Amino acid sequence: MAASVSDVGQLLSDSRHLAPEMLLVIFAFIILAASFATRSRKVLGWLAIVPVLVSLFLVTGMMGLVDMSLIGLGPLAGPVDVALAGGALSIDLFSLMFKFVFLSVALMVVLSSLSFITGRDGHVGEYYALVLISTTGMMIVSSSNNLVPLFLGIEMAAISTYALVAFRKHEGKSVEAGMKYFIIGATSSAVLLYGMSILYGISGTLDIPQLSRRIGEAAWEPATVVGLSMVVAGFGFKMAAVPFHMWAPDVYEGAPTPVTVLLAAGSKKMAFAAAFKVFLVGLVAAKADFGLALAVVSVLTMTVGNVTALSQTSMKRMLAYSSIAQSGYILMALAVGTKTALAGGMLHVLTHAFMKGGAFVVVAAVAYLLSSEKLEDYKGLARRAPFLAFCMAVFLLSLAGIPPLAGFWSKFVLFSGAVEAGGWMVWLALAGVLNSALSLYYYAGVIKYMYVEEPPENAPPLEREPGPYVAAIFFAFLAVVLIGLYPQPFIDIAMRAAGILIH
Amino acid sequence: MVAGDFPVLSILVLLPLVGSLAVFLLPRGRAGQARWIAAVFSLLSLVISVYLYAQVWSAPRPSSDDGYLTESSLEYQEEYEWVPALGISYSLGVDGISLPLVFLTALLSFLAILFSWNEGRRPKEFFGLMLVMEVGVVGVFMALDFFLFYIFWEVVLIPMYFLIGIWGGPRKEYAAIKFFIYTHVASVIMLLGIMGLYFQCRDVLGFGTFSMVEMAKVSPTLAPGFQYVAFAALFFGFAVKMPSVPFHTWLPDAHVEAPTAGSVLLAGLLLKMGGYGLVRVALPLLPEGARAAVPAMAVLGVASIVYGAFLCIAQNDLKKMVAYSSISHMGFVMLGASTLSPIGISAGVFQMFNHGLITAVLFMMCGMIHHSAGTREISRLGGLAQKLPVASAVFLTGSLASLGLPGLCSFISEFLVFFAAFVAHGAWMWIPVSAVVLTAAYYLWAAQRVLFGTFKVDLPEGEKGPLVDLQPHEAVALGVLIALIVFFGLFPSAVLGLSNPAAAAVAGLLGGAP
Repeated sequence: MAASVSDVGQLLSDSRHLAPEMLLVIFAFIILAASFATRSRKVLGWLAIVPVLVSLFLVTGMMGLVDMSLIGLGPLAGPVDVALAGGALSIDLFSLMFKFVFLSVALMVVLSSLSFITGRDGHVGEYYALVLISTTGMMIVSSSNNLVPLFLGIEMAAISTYALVAFRKHEGKSVEAGMKYFIIGATSSAVLLYGMSILYGISGTLDIPQLSRRIGEAAWEPATVVGLSMVVAGFGFKMAAVPFHMWAPDVYEGAPTPVTVLLAAGSKKMAFAAAFKVFLVGLVAAKADFGLALAVVSVLTMTVGNVTALSQTSMKRMLAYSSIAQSGYILMALAVGTKTALAGGMLHVLTHAFMKGGAFVVVAAVAYLLSSEKLEDYKGLARRAPFLAFCMAVFLLSLAGIPPLAGFWSKFVLFSGAVEAGGWMVWLALAGVLNSALSLYYYAGVIKYMYVEEPPENAPPLEREPGPYVAAIFFAFLAVVLIGLYPQPFIDIAMRAAGILIH
Repeated sequence: MVAGDFPVLSILVLLPLVGSLAVFLLPRGRAGQARWIAAVFSLLSLVISVYLYAQVWSAPRPSSDDGYLTESSLEYQEEYEWVPALGISYSLGVDGISLPLVFLTALLSFLAILFSWNEGRRPKEFFGLMLVMEVGVVGVFMALDFFLFYIFWEVVLIPMYFLIGIWGGPRKEYAAIKFFIYTHVASVIMLLGIMGLYFQCRDVLGFGTFSMVEMAKVSPTLAPGFQYVAFAALFFGFAVKMPSVPFHTWLPDAHVEAPTAGSVLLAGLLLKMGGYGLVRVALPLLPEGARAAVPAMAVLGVASIVYGAFLCIAQNDLKKMVAYSSISHMGFVMLGASTLSPIGISAGVFQMFNHGLITAVLFMMCGMIHHSAGTREISRLGGLAQKLPVASAVFLTGSLASLGLPGLCSFISEFLVFFAAFVAHGAWMWIPVSAVVLTAAYYLWAAQRVLFGTFKVDLPEGEKGPLVDLQPHEAVALGVLIALIVFFGLFPSAVLGLSNPAAAAVAGLLGGAP
């Protein structure tokens, strides 16, 4: 008996680096249980905030940004680089950086949900539990070194978000979005899984690093091409890359806004984490073949996203298209596939989470105050709600890549990766910067509405923004400004993390 | 080489930054104090820039053996690590080319704030943005790190966008967004050039750095093929900013719609960033590319001078005329740079300085006439000298300075540019020289129609302005500018004495004609 206790102790100690994930899952079930005991939205919300905050702190420590030994958590001191479950999971700077992103997003989501969820909404406990579980799924994906946990993580996140999108079941839009998202999501998962099974059939392994050795010998066999295409399509749907992007604006617009944050800033980034692993590690031998195809997809994605965003009249839809464009930028990292480019891609995942997440939370807060998501109603917002307008302006300028904000640095590293690679990839960088300039047009348009235009005649004074929104927005704002002013630690971590995948 | 006991250059950047924060954070009820805070902070910057000028002036000049963009050719260098992972540092320094422009920036910022003393519309934002602009421009003129340079370069765009967009004329929104996008596209192309330079230099140096000083050590030896491309990218960024024909179309829109103070800063300072980038960064870092671009620079310079002058003749809006004249006058800077000679480069710098002073006078007068008479359309005005004698005298002086009257400052710089251009390019330089006649024509013709003859303000009764002469705060701002225009006309060596050795060092790298 004693032996088995020590075995459990050993197991816990060995897997201590999974503490953030475990914490989230445990609290997800605590919330579910608590929802039978209490209907207080506040209590349930705080039960979700606490584990996210603690996990975020643990991840920050494991990245080496905080000295853990000072508070007696020496065994978790970073930077961590361990393999678990026989190498199927690895916890290193690459996965930790993504976990940092997912947890930050989760923090914004639960904070803004505190205000967003009203007395009319039922199932509050399930809502928070699903947020935590989907975050866990994303975190597992970023750690996966094997196609099975990778796919399981993707599904774990996806199935939770299907329900979350349709959370406001009395709103037609929300239900429609949920249905759309479910059908597209399930189809794309099937495509992805089928592609993976073909790759498994060819290589006989599910281990991602092993995959590259086997695929290298069979790069041009028809079966490989089919498998590869299906994996590209599957990921393409998940990351809303053109031409697989049609679902994204409808779903982002229809979903409850905090869930939109989770989708745009979180689960989409999970697809990138998975794609980075599968393409840059598993299929690196076939890179010459898919590189050009991904470059075309990347340019198409950013251009279609930006051009369509130009003509939107709904803030949420505009931000959704801008999200598509941003996916296009990140795809450059896959197409170029060098260390600098990958670091840039990871940085952009990080900064995009804050700036786009923050922007969506502002939309939620404005919708709370004005009951509108129309661009037109942002007229004179700077006079009516100066804090929201200012933060929104900062997020948008950061998205446009204006220095010295966070988005500028990530785009800079990303594009310089393409320039460094030389050859035809310089054209990719050119497409990127021109698209950035194009995007400025609609971002500046919003700023114009908020700052240049006067508020409508006899507009009633607005009440104060609810505290949780302010907290979520301020969190994102601080991140965007601080990373902008002092990006060194994150650039350094991204470079080292990229070095883990690409030697 | 002068090194200060305290970081003078950082203070020049920080003063307006702190000032702008103080202005933005004023409570809404006390917005009236914004102008005082702005004036005090910009005046302090001006005092420090004069001190800096005096210090560097009294120190021994760097000799041409010191090279250009080297530790020994730069004054008051400061360097702090910022993003070592990418080789980015916060480093500042000035030399003979940048110092006159730093002084010009502090001067015009202060005078523009003074001139708009009675701005009643959202004064907090207005004066705050003026100070942010000063941060960006002064930063561009002092940055020694390419990355920092780019950041300051972009920081300038945002306040200008708002200045045009909020306080501008009827088509302000179109003008503001056109300005923003057009110049931003140019900036990002320039950024690609900078990235390319970074990686090429990294391959030679063995470590990545954005320090211009480090890059300048190896970049002249890079492969000519690369230098052509990189120079083209940088040149595009700078030529749009100057602006040179055919990249000038954003300028008239922006100017016509911008408020007076915005126009002063736009023409007086922002355009100088383009010329400065060309002579201080592009020429010395990429000499091979510069040599290959000589014909293009000469042709674009001449085209800007001539075409700009022709555009001016056709204008009926006084402000638009002054705006197009900027294109013409900035063409001299390009032409001067194209000679690759010490005289041409130095004269180009002096021309930028002079144009800053003169164009500030002219834009202030356009704003003043618009306010005072109710319109600035030349055909609706006449005989203003009878009602506004002082203002008319100032406007006439500004016009005469701009057309290059000997004794006033821009005569010297334009003459020297032509001199250098004849030596370098030969006889076809009669083309731009003849454009000087056009310049005289459009200024004198406009002055004749607006100031002399029978008095008229051809407007319906309700729209006529109050017809008041210069207010005291306007008179002070204009008086200082006129005094400096005369001073630098009589003592051009006050600028040339600094810019000549630096220009000689640049030309030394380029191996151009003496």
